[in-house]
Amino acid sequence: MFEIGPLLIQAFTYARQFLTTLGATPLQAVVGIKFLQTTLTISIILAIPLFLVYAERKISAFMQARLGPMHTGPWGLLQTPADTIKLLFKEDIVPQGADRLLHLLAVILAAAPVFVCFAPVPWGTGFPLINLDTGILFVFAVSGVSTLGILAAGWGSGNKFSMLGGLRGAAQMVSYEIPRALSVVPVVLFYSSLNLQTIATAQMERWHGWMPKWFIFYPGIGQIAFIVFLIASVAETNRIPFDIPEAESELVSGYHTEYSGMKFAFFFLAEYVYVFLSSALVTTLFLGGADGAAFLPSWMWFLGKTLLIVFLFLWFRWTFPRLRVDRLMQFCWQFLLPLALVNIVLTVGWMMCKTPSQDVLPTQAAIPSSEMHGSPDDAGLTKAVEK
Amino acid sequence: MTLPLGIFYALSALMIGFSLVVVTSRNLFRGAMCLTASMGFVAAFFALLGGDFLAASQLLIYVGGVMVLILFVVMFVQTPDLFRARQTSVRWIPALLLAGGVGALFIRAFCHIESPTELPVLQPTSTALGHLLLGDMAVPFEVISLVLLAALVGALVFGLERES
Repeated sequence: MFEIGPLLIQAFTYARQFLTTLGATPLQAVVGIKFLQTTLTISIILAIPLFLVYAERKISAFMQARLGPMHTGPWGLLQTPADTIKLLFKEDIVPQGADRLLHLLAVILAAAPVFVCFAPVPWGTGFPLINLDTGILFVFAVSGVSTLGILAAGWGSGNKFSMLGGLRGAAQMVSYEIPRALSVVPVVLFYSSLNLQTIATAQMERWHGWMPKWFIFYPGIGQIAFIVFLIASVAETNRIPFDIPEAESELVSGYHTEYSGMKFAFFFLAEYVYVFLSSALVTTLFLGGADGAAFLPSWMWFLGKTLLIVFLFLWFRWTFPRLRVDRLMQFCWQFLLPLALVNIVLTVGWMMCKTPSQDVLPTQAAIPSSEMHGSPDDAGLTKAVEK
Repeated sequence: MTLPLGIFYALSALMIGFSLVVVTSRNLFRGAMCLTASMGFVAAFFALLGGDFLAASQLLIYVGGVMVLILFVVMFVQTPDLFRARQTSVRWIPALLLAGGVGALFIRAFCHIESPTELPVLQPTSTALGHLLLGDMAVPFEVISLVLLAALVGALVFGLERES
């Protein structure tokens, strides 16, 4: 089948040899190749919002019995590039009362982590990804930096609406990060690895020869973890029904009210790329990553599943009304968090029933879940594992 | 000078620079942002020394959690004095003496330490860390989680008090 991964590895090997023949030392050649790979990845990531914005416009239009953009290019395909060009030419306005440095820094802080987060994502077999041992933890850690961008945007704009948006955004993202991380703990416990590549490959087996052994198909625990992770991911990306940081009817447009031109575009870029990243994580953790039947190459399976979850995100946006601020917090702390904790206990129980042998302890207990968040359940959890 | 050593010095210079801004800037929000940056550089040091799990945790907890909360509080208590807060203490002479003394002690102590000339090869640490935390170090680990539990219960008590 048409696998891109091995081809890319081959190409990069040739490129390294070519650099060496040009007189570069091995270290210089490796650095050069890394630079090339990074540039390639960033270009691909920059193209994602172009497609997602178009998809969002079209899907929302179809859901409301409209046609959406139709005039720029065939079926309005060139609408997003045209809008990007428009944004490039727009005047960059900084309000008088703004903190000029923070106003600029906010954009960078919000958009820069996006590109780093894609480093450990396993796109398919043989892709030259960075095989990070701390994969999922790394993604959570780096994507958390974007919260600072929203806070800085809220403060740096010198506008009360922006400020309120920034405050809401910070409260929401810090709260929802906890159930999001805890919902991944069952997956991490099950495959006893934080490495996204390992988690994806571990799901490539079959039950009875046909049923895929993806984590979502484990009765009970798989579905709960999936739902909690999906809801928390929608909240993390600040999209409707969790878009209180930029609620149009309440806050003009929240933390990015005072941004125009490309600065505004970068906030949007960050949002859409995070939608894609969350979908890619859902695919890796719950849907078996690049696993699938052999008639399509693995990277196509990965992309297909990811786009399916992206569609879910868009569907939510045009279906649900916005939550009120207090209900939003209540939902997180009183529903999602307990659910995620109960799920961890259930998973540990399941694993102890399945493998009551002695050797399960050292390998399975190797994931210090409480390193991420000191939850009250950790003491109980570790004791349960020790028994 | 080798490449890791160069990176180390560059990171140190940046971190010291940002920390200096934290204690000299009169703008509280900017100061907090610079403190966030120095926290990030601590993560970079961990990564440089081969502690990949520690670096990610540092970023997750300090940059994405603690510092966001600090900034949150700064935004909430926004008053005009935030922008011209005096950065020098009234008793700055004893403070300077104390800081200088501690600094001298540190320099004296670290002069005697044989530092490894070779940096460790970056390899996975999470498995070893897990074995340690649930094996030899299980008791301290449990005690630390008790401290966190107490903090959580305390937060809950304060929260309930305000509601009633």
